[in-house]
Amino acid sequence: MVCIKQVPATTAEKRYTADLRLDRAAAEAVINPLDEYAIEQALRLQESGAVESVGFLSMGPEQAAEALRRALAMGGDDATLVTDPVLAGADAWATARVLAAALDKLAPDVALMGMASDDARGSLVPGAVAALRGMPLLSYGSELRIEGSSARVRRLTADGFDIVEAPLPVVASVTDQVGEPRYASLKGIMAAKRKPMETWGLADIGLSPDELHGAALTRVVEARKPEAKSPTERVEDVSADEAVTRIADWLAARKLI
Amino acid sequence: MSNDVAFLAEFSGGSPTHAALELAAGAADLAEGSKGAAVALAYGPGAADAGALGAAGASRVLVLGDEPSPAITHAAAAAAVVRDLNPLLLLAPATPNGRDLAAALVGLVALPAFGPVRAVRIEAGRVRTEQATLQGTVITVSEPTDDAGQPAIVLVLPSTFTPREGGSGAAKVEPAAASEAGPLGAARIVESHPAEAAVANLEEASVIVAGGRGVGSADGFAPLHELAAALGGAVGASRAAADAGWVPYQLQIGQTGKVVKPALYVGCGISGAIQHRVGMQTAENVLAINKDPDAPIGEFADLFVVGDLFTIVPKLTAEIRRRKGR
Repeated sequence: MVCIKQVPATTAEKRYTADLRLDRAAAEAVINPLDEYAIEQALRLQESGAVESVGFLSMGPEQAAEALRRALAMGGDDATLVTDPVLAGADAWATARVLAAALDKLAPDVALMGMASDDARGSLVPGAVAALRGMPLLSYGSELRIEGSSARVRRLTADGFDIVEAPLPVVASVTDQVGEPRYASLKGIMAAKRKPMETWGLADIGLSPDELHGAALTRVVEARKPEAKSPTERVEDVSADEAVTRIADWLAARKLI
Repeated sequence: MSNDVAFLAEFSGGSPTHAALELAAGAADLAEGSKGAAVALAYGPGAADAGALGAAGASRVLVLGDEPSPAITHAAAAAAVVRDLNPLLLLAPATPNGRDLAAALVGLVALPAFGPVRAVRIEAGRVRTEQATLQGTVITVSEPTDDAGQPAIVLVLPSTFTPREGGSGAAKVEPAAASEAGPLGAARIVESHPAEAAVANLEEASVIVAGGRGVGSADGFAPLHELAAALGGAVGASRAAADAGWVPYQLQIGQTGKVVKPALYVGCGISGAIQHRVGMQTAENVLAINKDPDAPIGEFADLFVVGDLFTIVPKLTAEIRRRKGR
């Protein structure tokens, strides 16, 4: 089961409301780019026969169904969307609670995720889901393998890499080194329309809004534009020697040499 | 609730990591303000002998374990310490291991989590964090909700705090209460493959000379190494250069690589795509050298030099050496 998140496109022009909240309706929404690598990894595991089926799970507003449809166009078998108005603005803890409850019901051997979401970048959800479900975590894998009743990842260390292994079932996260995500073919897009997609509310996964403390233990109290940067100083159409002198003077003026 | 400020202190090869020393300094400053103690939760090879953290700012060290096992295997022990200590705040480094352990605590103890942040304060007994979100397009200030439990878990970006030099404090070191590792403890390192040559830790470097697609080959990085040496810095790379195999992935800066905050970042042959920018945009000074006058890095560098890096970089190295008098 691959957990995916719909996020504003990395390169999209972002518009903010008067109180500096992202205008999500105006921003182009995509599958979190780092989750696409998790999708690719899952599909490769299915193609090699290491796993029987691949499903997708997302928590989000109703339009997150578009992201699930897009994932199904890449491959896989079915999708589940957990959506409820009280989940708007869910933080890492609430997101993990909801995903963990949905995953308990779906009971996959591997719950797979991208290493982080592009908008928040906390990388907290995989580990929190593992803790809530009482399962080992195999994180930041550049490759995930399933062998018999165990899973293993190749994980970068400060200078080399480790192979980390745990018995199934596991929660795992992968990096962008698993291989370039495939494009959805036209055939895939057509096929995706016929694949099953379920929509669940909070009650379907046995959670009550009260338990989720309004979907967040954190709140934003202020939002502002970043400090204005001084304009770029450009050096062009000069000789290499002149460019070097200008750079060295610039470094010296800033006490960097 | 206590007024203590706890922090995760990872040890590697017998010593605290740079991230641990940074957090020790930050925790000590925050604890002084909150009238509590800076308490380290130490783990990893060497953690059993963690007294050195006293000079770094900690007044107490609780050792979770000193085996070379995945960080998350210490989660149950860390959760027991957190419940017992009930600190105001728990700082975690925004590194893969720090995030894993913090994440497990979010799940095990149901705690408000923040970050990665670039500043953390305690105002009237309340934790406030400052974070750049949505690729740095907006700065948000956050705090725990009224009914959130303690502590606030805060992921801290590298270089947010500066390690103390020549500190003389002493820390009381004691083992954390024994606790069953549970299912999170089932992940094991079955093989370890250190590289032949140690890779410089980019997160500690105050100067980084980074190369991208424009460097063209592994050999093309040689002049960048020379420049980095002249500036007393380290070499980094964009994902394109790491994917091409010109440098190890440990040198990658960006969305899936390291987040760095050097005093000087020099981008050579790097276009400055958003994926790279999120990893280096908090550098204090950004110099870019690129043949393409329209490269996006020209929009946000402080100094943008349009030209051939293979001509400019060696001459620049020589000029810096000359001015430094060597």
